[in-house]
Amino acid sequence: MESFYGFVRDNEQVGVRNYLLVLSGTIYANEVVNRVAGTVPNAVGITHPLGRCQTRGDLRKTFNTLVGFGKNPNAGAVIVVEHYKEEGCTASQIAEEIAKTGKPVATVNIHDCGGTLEATTKTFRYALDFARKISTQQREKVAVDKLLLGLNCGTSDTTSGLAPNPALGKCSDRLIDLGGRSIIAETTEFIGGEDVLAERAVNQKVAQEIYRIVNNMEEEILAEGEDIRGSQPTGDNMAGGLSTLEEKSLGAIKKSGSQPIQGVLDWAQEPPSDSGLYIMDTPGHGGESITGIAAGGAQVLVFTTGGGHTISHPLMPTLKVTANEQSLELMRDTIDIDITDVFASGLSLNEAGERIYQEVLATCSGKLTKCEVLGEQTGMAIAREAPSV
Amino acid sequence: MSRRVFVIDEKDNVATVITDELKAGAEVQLEKPENKTVQLQDDISYGHKFAVRKISRGEKIMKYGMPIGKASRDIAQGEHIHTHNVEAIRARGDLVADQVE
Repeated sequence: MESFYGFVRDNEQVGVRNYLLVLSGTIYANEVVNRVAGTVPNAVGITHPLGRCQTRGDLRKTFNTLVGFGKNPNAGAVIVVEHYKEEGCTASQIAEEIAKTGKPVATVNIHDCGGTLEATTKTFRYALDFARKISTQQREKVAVDKLLLGLNCGTSDTTSGLAPNPALGKCSDRLIDLGGRSIIAETTEFIGGEDVLAERAVNQKVAQEIYRIVNNMEEEILAEGEDIRGSQPTGDNMAGGLSTLEEKSLGAIKKSGSQPIQGVLDWAQEPPSDSGLYIMDTPGHGGESITGIAAGGAQVLVFTTGGGHTISHPLMPTLKVTANEQSLELMRDTIDIDITDVFASGLSLNEAGERIYQEVLATCSGKLTKCEVLGEQTGMAIAREAPSV
Repeated sequence: MSRRVFVIDEKDNVATVITDELKAGAEVQLEKPENKTVQLQDDISYGHKFAVRKISRGEKIMKYGMPIGKASRDIAQGEHIHTHNVEAIRARGDLVADQVE
């Protein structure tokens, strides 16, 4: 049995971290959240500028994301703070969904408490209780089939499609062979590669879903009537030798490996418990795509990069891997896995995939990523479609 | 063994270079098509591509055995391939806008 050491939750999901999550329901609760999460050991605060004056669809997206963070098995307990009850995204509606996992959840309403200082005190009191409660939980040996691995890429260049993406694909293939699950996202970066993905769909319905999300994304781009070159591919993509969106896409989808695609998920949607590879429909923006994946329940994510990256989700350890020697030199503080020997000395993609897989397991058993040590939390961005209203 | 020049698929008409050492005039031997030698027309920097054969304007640029765009002008064997002579086919909102105007 291949295994790692994780925190087994009441619903039998397994966390690779045991955080006290302090969550803003709305933008105006952010400072209460920061005050408490910034003081309490092992607390993670997640704040954002949303939850107010959003269209119904976007508010639902925010709600699903916050609920998804709370349900993510890396959170051992959760406190949701709001300044006012925003119908459709209230702290108690968020908490009610999170409580289904069986983990301790509390809510704080700043208005009901009598102001920001009282709300801070109340949040601290919950934190005092929850932090001590979850601190007694020990890691246990569990099989790797409990893992949901996120697959993402960013600041890609032409090395990405040659080495780190196919190597990550090997890692994902192996995890799925052992009963685990993976999620690939970034729908923009399927444009030009959708035939390859659709061919791997488990059935015709899933193939049609793949074409549907790619067509929708392309239609949205065309509707803007813009030359998106410079945004997709990005300026750093083009400096790295990527000439077109299609070239970027065909490299990006290599990180999905070779397993069949079991289904297409909405933003922040948790995949079914069946082993296999899933697609999540997200924008190509890295912070948004990994946020969707974290809200979908992934405990860990591997982020491949050509030019180097600082991205890391606050709740989901985010391992960066590169094969580009120049980027490794320039961005070494935030790159965890070095596979530059693919080019320098002919390391095979199987061997590179194995190196990534072993680092994923070590991280899931508690090894810190570089970004975790440095407190880099640059990868939290909730996608939206409409303007604020 | 160090690997620095990649032609990924038999159908490809470009090679990707993972080194800063290939300058105009250099002769590069390829794995695909087997043992073909190409003389570079330009300096090719790290991560960039060159044409492994002559490509006509409008012809598809192939990498991974798939089209990544089309040639916006004639391209000689050994010439640097990038945004100055290749354009994307997909998600071109600018072309839709031109048609409307």
